[in-house]
Amino acid sequence: MTGYLIRRIAQGILVLFLVSIFTFFLINLAPGGPSSLVDFSSTAAEREARLARFELDRSPVERYGLWLTALVTRGDLGTSINQGLPVTDLLLQRLGTTLRLALGALALAVAFGVTLGILAGLHHNRWPDHVVSVISTLGMSIPNFWLGIVAIIVFSVNLGWLPASGSGPIGQRADLATSLRHLALPAGVLAFSLMPNVIRVTRAALLEVLRSDYVRTATAKGIRRRAVVLKHALRNALIPIVSIVGLITTVLFSGSVVIESVFGWPGLGRLAIEAANGRDYPVILGVTLLAGTVVVTVNLIVDLTYAVIDPRVRHD
Amino acid sequence: MFPTLNRTLKAAAVALAATLLPLGVAVAQDVPQGGVLQLATNADPTLNPWAPGAVIESNLINTILFDQLTRYSPEDLRPVPALATDWSASEDGLTWTFNLREGVLWSDGEAFDAEDVAFTFNDVVLNADLGAQSASQFTSIDRVEIVDATTVDFVLNSPFSALPYYLASFAGIIPEHVLGDAENPLTVASFNKQNPVTTGPFMVDEFVPGSYVSLTPNPNHWAGEPNLDGVTFRIIADPNTQVAQALAGELDVVTRLTASLASGVEASPELEVLRQSQNLYYWISLNQNDERLTDVRVRQALLHALDREAMIEAVIEGYGQVSTGPVAPLLGALYEDQVATYPYDPERAGELLDEAGWVMGDDGIREKDGEDLVLSMPTGQFGYLVPATLLAQQYWEDIGVVADVQVIEWNAYIQQVVVNREYESTLAWWSQPPTADVAPYYSCDAVGSGNNIPNYCSEELDNLMNAGRRAITPEDQQAAYSEMQQYMAEELPYLYLWYPDILTAKRTTLEGFPEINASSAFQHAVDWYLND
Amino acid sequence: MTEPQALAKRRKLWRRIRRQPLGLTAFAVLMILILTVTLGPLAWPFDPDRANPLNNLAPPDGTHWLGTDELGRDVFARILAGGRVSLAVGIFSMLVGLTIGTAIGGSAGYFGGRTEAVLMRLVDVFMAIPAFFLILVIVTTFGNHPVTVIVTVGLGFWAQMARVAHAEFSRFRRHEFVEASRALGGSHPRIMLRHILPQVVPQATVLATLGVGWAILTEAALSYLGLGIQPPLASWGNMLQNAQQYLWLNPLIAIWPGLFIGLTVLAFNLLGNSLRDLLDPRGDS
Repeated sequence: MTGYLIRRIAQGILVLFLVSIFTFFLINLAPGGPSSLVDFSSTAAEREARLARFELDRSPVERYGLWLTALVTRGDLGTSINQGLPVTDLLLQRLGTTLRLALGALALAVAFGVTLGILAGLHHNRWPDHVVSVISTLGMSIPNFWLGIVAIIVFSVNLGWLPASGSGPIGQRADLATSLRHLALPAGVLAFSLMPNVIRVTRAALLEVLRSDYVRTATAKGIRRRAVVLKHALRNALIPIVSIVGLITTVLFSGSVVIESVFGWPGLGRLAIEAANGRDYPVILGVTLLAGTVVVTVNLIVDLTYAVIDPRVRHD
Repeated sequence: MFPTLNRTLKAAAVALAATLLPLGVAVAQDVPQGGVLQLATNADPTLNPWAPGAVIESNLINTILFDQLTRYSPEDLRPVPALATDWSASEDGLTWTFNLREGVLWSDGEAFDAEDVAFTFNDVVLNADLGAQSASQFTSIDRVEIVDATTVDFVLNSPFSALPYYLASFAGIIPEHVLGDAENPLTVASFNKQNPVTTGPFMVDEFVPGSYVSLTPNPNHWAGEPNLDGVTFRIIADPNTQVAQALAGELDVVTRLTASLASGVEASPELEVLRQSQNLYYWISLNQNDERLTDVRVRQALLHALDREAMIEAVIEGYGQVSTGPVAPLLGALYEDQVATYPYDPERAGELLDEAGWVMGDDGIREKDGEDLVLSMPTGQFGYLVPATLLAQQYWEDIGVVADVQVIEWNAYIQQVVVNREYESTLAWWSQPPTADVAPYYSCDAVGSGNNIPNYCSEELDNLMNAGRRAITPEDQQAAYSEMQQYMAEELPYLYLWYPDILTAKRTTLEGFPEINASSAFQHAVDWYLND
Repeated sequence: MTEPQALAKRRKLWRRIRRQPLGLTAFAVLMILILTVTLGPLAWPFDPDRANPLNNLAPPDGTHWLGTDELGRDVFARILAGGRVSLAVGIFSMLVGLTIGTAIGGSAGYFGGRTEAVLMRLVDVFMAIPAFFLILVIVTTFGNHPVTVIVTVGLGFWAQMARVAHAEFSRFRRHEFVEASRALGGSHPRIMLRHILPQVVPQATVLATLGVGWAILTEAALSYLGLGIQPPLASWGNMLQNAQQYLWLNPLIAIWPGLFIGLTVLAFNLLGNSLRDLLDPRGDS
């Protein structure tokens, strides 16, 4: 197990290293420079002075070397060119906000997804199954940013029930109720597009378990169906559901880029767009690496959890 | 002649100061006190007016935080006293003396004096290695000399009659005692992103990146404490969301409202839309390195072909007016309206092109010596540049001129058009302080690497602009700039499109908010009050 | 296989197809959509790019069925034009992802060993960057020419396809028929293309159908962020982005492109789900 763990971690680091090289050289090919250094009305002399100030007149290979050295020796991800803050600080600030959105959405998606998935599985090929299937397909098909715009119009502008944007109130530390009110729309919209994955996996897992021998045996022994489902089937159906969390993490990150823009949610997704539009090289690298790290870590944890809840899975 | 004049000018400035200031204080005592104003900005601001990249997201908040030597009068946008109480120019126009206000304290309690002004300009703005934001506006300044603790001399390398105007344009004074020792005073994170030391009526209370910046009254402010208990800038990137929040009562002011959203706001009884003005105009630049475009008849034809009234209607919902040159009517006497105009007239456009040798081909495209009149027209994704460009393309198509429009991402656009000048025609805008001094955008010096995007160079125009810079009296300035505007309207270094209204939505209960223009409004934040 | 057997088999397949009413409907809707956006412009009198600034943001009426946009362009004409672009981007992106994914995943699965290790590590790299971040960086770098957008969206999809192809190819690698043809001197590409690829087709068809929906959504999201297909070329995504500014003046112009995106993607997804059920050997449904 320890050997497996070390090997997986080493693989993860290799993957992240390749991600950083790929992103660094790609983004340096982009036309234009950091927007704070090269704005519309700056003159050639101003541009050159600023680029030299940030050592952007060096070659990309040299700069990648410097960046990697600083990261490996000091754990330093560099300083944002446009914002003047250490990239690590920016990432930490934004990671918290994104996690709040992500966990909110994940919780909603799992709660509703598992419930609907079970409903569909139990009533296989009867009308509840079809209704759930329609909901699930809608979730996959409706552009979530459009749903977000519609939700803002309905719930914020017309009904005035929920705030249209932002992650929390001003001036004081957010109390739970206010935070939840801010979270409701973005997390709800994001959850709606994540839910289909959960429904699909839950339903399939449940169907598989219900067909399995031991459930048939249990039912044959006269144990009430409800008990069989609750005690045996669900527990075994849980395993694939854990795996979906891994898959969802990447979907979640992608979804948050757009949803954060719609709802003005100051998270990693917005940071990524701001950085890409503003050619803020260190920030782009930082965000991509962080997202990669989260995905790699979550997948590792999922695999380990698998081993714990399913004794059949063994890692040599 | 000059000494008398000098004295008159000085007297005028003192008189202005005397009439304006007590008035402000008197008003402050009578109006309702308290309340926190909620505003929005589109991204994390940088709380240093000279930091490279501190642009629209930072300008207004920095205007509140950092007082300048001068500010714009809410009546006519002429420069009036702020940190400087009065000023005068030497006979040759090369030395300007500013007397500084006495007893001004920084928000940390330290005294403000001439050192701070000298530091701001000598060590920051004029230090070419730093590449300070908008430093290019101050290239006429050679150095700032300290006369005594409350007097400074601006020593110029060429006459610059608009200096007091420019000193009110995003030119906040920054503290020497805080930033003086910094390796780069423009990138001190604890200052720019956390807690800057300022002289304005409000100071930073808390800066939560990505979320908000809250300001609290500055107890040391020289004009007394402001009426409001605070001002909060929320960071909201999306303009739709800003408007939605204003309609939901969560924001009190939305600045730089897009025209399409303004009509939605106008329906609300609690909000009003201010149609403010700014010395800002949209233009089409025709690259003068391209021989086809150096013929003035071609430029005039391309302008005659545009129905600018209709474009204003479609692109900015009618919030704007056709422009006649680079000076907006807002400037009053300095604006010259007796100039050549180019009403929508496709026929006239056709005649001009015929005269220039571009005759209509069988394919509906004009040609000369077998070559079609096709112009590349890159446009950037920014504001309403794309729809405006598409309309221009269609109008030109109607007179047989093909614009090959390419929409590119904004940074790439800057690289291609501004840096490399790889374009034949392009549509954008200039915004400048309320003066007629437009040399940075037109002079031969600015061709190629400066802001002279069309690369238009004319000795005659340079002379006219220099005459304006040397003219100290309003009458002389008016005469010089009137001639300059007539020349430009005739020659069309740029094709002038329109002066857009600068739209601000504000809650009707917010008063003491100068309506003339956003810069002036934010320079007078001390006078704002909520009349609930 | 004798005649009656084949006939019986076909009849059985048809019976199973008929048990997929949603899939059939989705297929019909897609056909109608594709015919409308390709043939519609022949019958519809308005040019999608012709602006009429004096009649902008007009509500729907008998002339302009869906009204006009901010420049006075006919919205229905733009929906048709945008539909061609969105569908084309969706389908071609999917093909790009499918081809790259099958080639890389297939080779990894077929050859195994070091090839597999290297190629699958590449897949891991791509799986580790959330697709949208990757697309964001690539589009920022290479600009938003339609071909770039197509390739980029396809790149967001290939890693997933590679995993499936990898699994299938390594499953068949040791199969008797593969070993037999190798013994007969079949070359690797021939074996991969002639013998294994057909086995992957059912799975790939399902993924491809769902992939088109995903690609259309992704292009729309990119365009919504201003990074996708650029005006004056219309796509449903950039129409939506444009319309968002006019929510207060004319919310309908934001509704139409959203509805068409939703309808199209819904149809692809329902079709994909039906295909999955149809091709599932266990006959889940």
